[in-house]
Amino acid sequence: MSLPPRSRASSGPLIAGTLIVVVIGIAIVALLAAGITPQRAWESFFPVGGQPVVTDRAHATRSLYDVVFYIAAAIFLLVEGLIIFTAIRYRRKPGDEELPPQIHGNNLIEIIWTVIPLGIVLFLFVISWQTLNTVDAKAATGDVHVRAVAARFQWKFDYLDGPDGPNAKVVYEQLLPVGDDGGLVLPVGSPVHITLTSPDVIHAFYVPKFLFKRDVVPGKLNNFDFTVDTPGTYRGQCAELCGEFHGSMLFEVHALPQADFDAWMAAAVKKAQQSPPPPPSGAPAGSGAPAPSGAPAGSGAPAGQAVQEAAHNIAFVNQNLSAPANTPFAIEFDNQDAGQPHNIEIKDAGGAVKFKGDLVIGPAKATYDVPALPAGTYPFVCTVHSNMTGTITVQ
Amino acid sequence: MTSDAAALTTHGETHDATEHGAAGLGNPVLGMLLFITSEVMFFAGLFAAYFSIRASYQELVNGQLVHLWPPAQFADTLKALPFVITTSEGHTVLNVILPATLILIASSFTCQLGVNAIKRDDRTGFLRNFGVTLVLGILFLLLQAYDYTVLFGEGMGLGSTTFGTTYFTLTGFHGAHVFGGALMLAVVVYRGMAGQFSARHHDMVEATSLYWHFVDIVWILLFSVLYLLPGVKA
Amino acid sequence: MATTALHPAAPAVRGGLYEWLTTTDHKKIGMLYLVNSLVFFALGGILALVVRLELAQPGMQFIDEAFYNQAFTMHASFMLFLFIIPILAGFGNYAVPLQIGAPDMAFPRINALSFWLLPLGGALMASGFLASGGAAASGWTEYPPLSGPAYHGTGTDLWIMGLVLIGTSSILGAINFLVTIFRMRAPGMTLFRMPILSWTVLVTSVLVLMSTPVLTSALIMLFIDRNYGGHFFDPANGGNAVLYQNVFWFYSHPAVYIMVLPAMGIISEVLPVFSRKPLFGYKAFVFATVGIGALGFSVWAHHMFTTGQVFLPFFALMTFLIAVPTGVKMFNWIATLWRGKLVFSTPLLFAFGFLTMFLIGGLNGAFSAAVPVDFALHDTYWVVAHLHYVLFGGSVFGVFAGIYYWFPKMTGRMLNETLGKLQFVLMFVGFNMTFFPMHQLGLMGMPRRIADYASTAGWTELNTLATIGGFTIGLSMVPFLWNVMVSLRNGRIAGDDPWEGNTLEWATSSPPPPYNFDHLPEIRSERPVFDARHGRTATH
Repeated sequence: MSLPPRSRASSGPLIAGTLIVVVIGIAIVALLAAGITPQRAWESFFPVGGQPVVTDRAHATRSLYDVVFYIAAAIFLLVEGLIIFTAIRYRRKPGDEELPPQIHGNNLIEIIWTVIPLGIVLFLFVISWQTLNTVDAKAATGDVHVRAVAARFQWKFDYLDGPDGPNAKVVYEQLLPVGDDGGLVLPVGSPVHITLTSPDVIHAFYVPKFLFKRDVVPGKLNNFDFTVDTPGTYRGQCAELCGEFHGSMLFEVHALPQADFDAWMAAAVKKAQQSPPPPPSGAPAGSGAPAPSGAPAGSGAPAGQAVQEAAHNIAFVNQNLSAPANTPFAIEFDNQDAGQPHNIEIKDAGGAVKFKGDLVIGPAKATYDVPALPAGTYPFVCTVHSNMTGTITVQ
Repeated sequence: MTSDAAALTTHGETHDATEHGAAGLGNPVLGMLLFITSEVMFFAGLFAAYFSIRASYQELVNGQLVHLWPPAQFADTLKALPFVITTSEGHTVLNVILPATLILIASSFTCQLGVNAIKRDDRTGFLRNFGVTLVLGILFLLLQAYDYTVLFGEGMGLGSTTFGTTYFTLTGFHGAHVFGGALMLAVVVYRGMAGQFSARHHDMVEATSLYWHFVDIVWILLFSVLYLLPGVKA
Repeated sequence: MATTALHPAAPAVRGGLYEWLTTTDHKKIGMLYLVNSLVFFALGGILALVVRLELAQPGMQFIDEAFYNQAFTMHASFMLFLFIIPILAGFGNYAVPLQIGAPDMAFPRINALSFWLLPLGGALMASGFLASGGAAASGWTEYPPLSGPAYHGTGTDLWIMGLVLIGTSSILGAINFLVTIFRMRAPGMTLFRMPILSWTVLVTSVLVLMSTPVLTSALIMLFIDRNYGGHFFDPANGGNAVLYQNVFWFYSHPAVYIMVLPAMGIISEVLPVFSRKPLFGYKAFVFATVGIGALGFSVWAHHMFTTGQVFLPFFALMTFLIAVPTGVKMFNWIATLWRGKLVFSTPLLFAFGFLTMFLIGGLNGAFSAAVPVDFALHDTYWVVAHLHYVLFGGSVFGVFAGIYYWFPKMTGRMLNETLGKLQFVLMFVGFNMTFFPMHQLGLMGMPRRIADYASTAGWTELNTLATIGGFTIGLSMVPFLWNVMVSLRNGRIAGDDPWEGNTLEWATSSPPPPYNFDHLPEIRSERPVFDARHGRTATH
């Protein structure tokens, strides 16, 4: 019964194994060369690269992750060790024609390796359930109520005067999802209640350092509570596919000490109480006398033509603008998207903000007075919709 | 090779049924039972959707969101279900669903009589009963079509709230299955007239009758759920 | 086995185009399944490389966001519905009648219909790329409202119609398998003497039969919403968006087992043959397979933990429990190797790849069963890593083990071992280079299905690495295709039983004649051919 493939086969695993070991060796060298220390590599196996997580719930989740990780790692090492051991130890020697012992099974051992994994998974289930109760628990106190509204492809945070419901009143509407004067601003150390709604498709509220996400389901009201315990700015992102620009549906969480938060909140409420919507910044003072289009009248108006821009269907109509160098100029901005906030934010090549217009909720128009810019090419975006981009050439 | 393929078909479909499993079900009958299982799961999906949507339907009544079923706009039309429909002009139209239901149930009996007949090698009785079953099936479809025209006339369609969506989807897919069953009956009758069935060879007759019973049972469920289950009033 | 030499030149893989288009022979249909599936594997693979290329660096370099969404949607749709599920059905089609000693499937013409629905459905699905607005782009899950009429055009309708046809193909195939297995086993072939591959096909067929129609109902409701003004999933008009997810996953979680059980079956054929021992704990293995199938129906909502709309503890418990029968299988495989005499031919190498990768895919799945951890990891690249370790590291390695194992039976010629080993090494290394870093990316918080990421996010290096790995996997297909091309014409003649196999397909000629057998050996165990060669070793 000696057959050719058998007698030639024994060098196979040696070659394959050697190749795999060599490749893994090269990979390790490459990682070390790229500055990835064993410490960093180890930490990469933990959430957010081993960085501290920042909510009370996240600490519970992180502890659970660690338990699951160590159990999984131990099982992996054990089972993979057995697999590799069999591959090395039980290779057939060339010319060995004898059959190995024909063992069909063993009921006792089947029971053992059914019962032990069963115990492990039941243990994991129990601790997951306990952690889940912590993570999903409702906070009894706390007066920060935020309704996060996720729409394609923007976030909006409504600060409410009480628990979300039909009678909740919006005291401040945070339209800017990112930036120093935007984002979800929260106090450190006091419980926050968040409700999620969507007017269009399913999104998901996801902040990696919260170790938490929750879907934003249109027609359903999802809510969750947590307390941030470290001040800082944390990246958040939509985590449920919502269309082309799903990847640019970003937001930030600004966690401030309670006093700073209170001050911010007071200023925000005050701002909201001043004749909403806020007038566009630097709108020409020449009210009363309607200016002929294209030639802004009124004192102090910059020389030259105003630049025309419009926003339509979450995109800039003109993606290439040009403006005179070293002189202030105006942009006449027409937001044609009903209910959508847009603006124009001009950056320099390094990403520093040179000009940021106030948000305009469409359909509405505004005129932005842009300060003098040196000659060059500047990208501009809508602060709310990071996928709305264009460039302005100053010459 | 094509003759091989044909021979193979015969071999697979009939010989084995008699060689291996003379005591049990024929292959086509077992195949049909399994197919019906899959159809049950298909309707289970639709029914699950129906109950989920029905349970969560809400409407604004006097400024309050309340759960009700059917939606207020059809409550008058459907008030007297299942026997009559009151149209918007105030006429009452006979709702044909109850007679249609009785017709379909009756057709299941005639179908079974046909199977019993062919098992006795009574080809005439088999043909007569299957012919009647086919006619009753077509009659059911015509009555359902009439029901649809009345409801369309009332402005009810697939897009009239989730009620219209679920009603027409469920009954429409059932109607499509009745149509499919009627086609199978027609084929069986045609082949029966050609003398292809006997007390020994009637797997296709049995399979078709199983399918027809299944279609009937789905309808009884649909009828109970759509017409007999009491609605929820505001 | 002398009787099997009666067909020295059985022309099972020859024959003209007409013969291949009209065949009802389960072996030819099985091979058609394999070829069709490999074509879609290539298409899906190209789309995967497009996705990887775009993600290698931050910024949009090659395609726009709209096409990116189409690319990953169609990649997944091709790979799941037109590659993994059908290719495993193809192995089942080829091997099951042979393994149970049947002349063909129970319904040969329906078998042909099942196959031909596949290229038709695949073509419908793929034709979305030609439609205005492009192909389906809401992910392979096609969650409404995003997949609704307001956001996507004809491509999504074509996707739905294609998938309904593919689902119908699966259902008809499952009925065929079940009737074949229940009614056409050779004398002596009791259920508990059936080879494990046939058992996994049996359980898979039950899963298909019970779950695929539910997918069809979900797709039809979506189609009605899209085209006839229905409101099933339209929250603005009383519909329920999460309802679709429930119905969809009621199919798609069992579908995961549809995609992996037959691959486990292939591994369970390969390991005993190449370790020259019987499968350890045959009955335990069967019960574990049945257990996975049964539990598979009660875990669907673990894909929906973050929706806030499902009862978490129940589904978490069931999800943890399903690890137990899976673990039993893993231990039985290792015990089969234990004290064996392993012959490292290419099928065994791929089987070892399967064991290693599937182990990782099972363990990283346990993280998501722990609900709070799932809140952190859901819809991140962690999940992408998990599903590829199960479906690529598991199923696809199993598929290649199967191809190398049965190619001699199908064609009468051996595949080249050196090229096979080269393919294995490239695929194994490329696979881990692509998908292992995705664990880290997911932990860092990179969501899946995003076309672009900020250069400041710290994800660039690992994404570049993953892209290099992806192209290495692509490269591994070169020796494979070359191997098949060359071996079809010039491969070493295999003979009836090149591997000293255990199951009945090795008791007939290579390739087998029409109707498979002229004479069957006595069937007294799950290894009739081994028994004929060595005598029986234990009672069963």
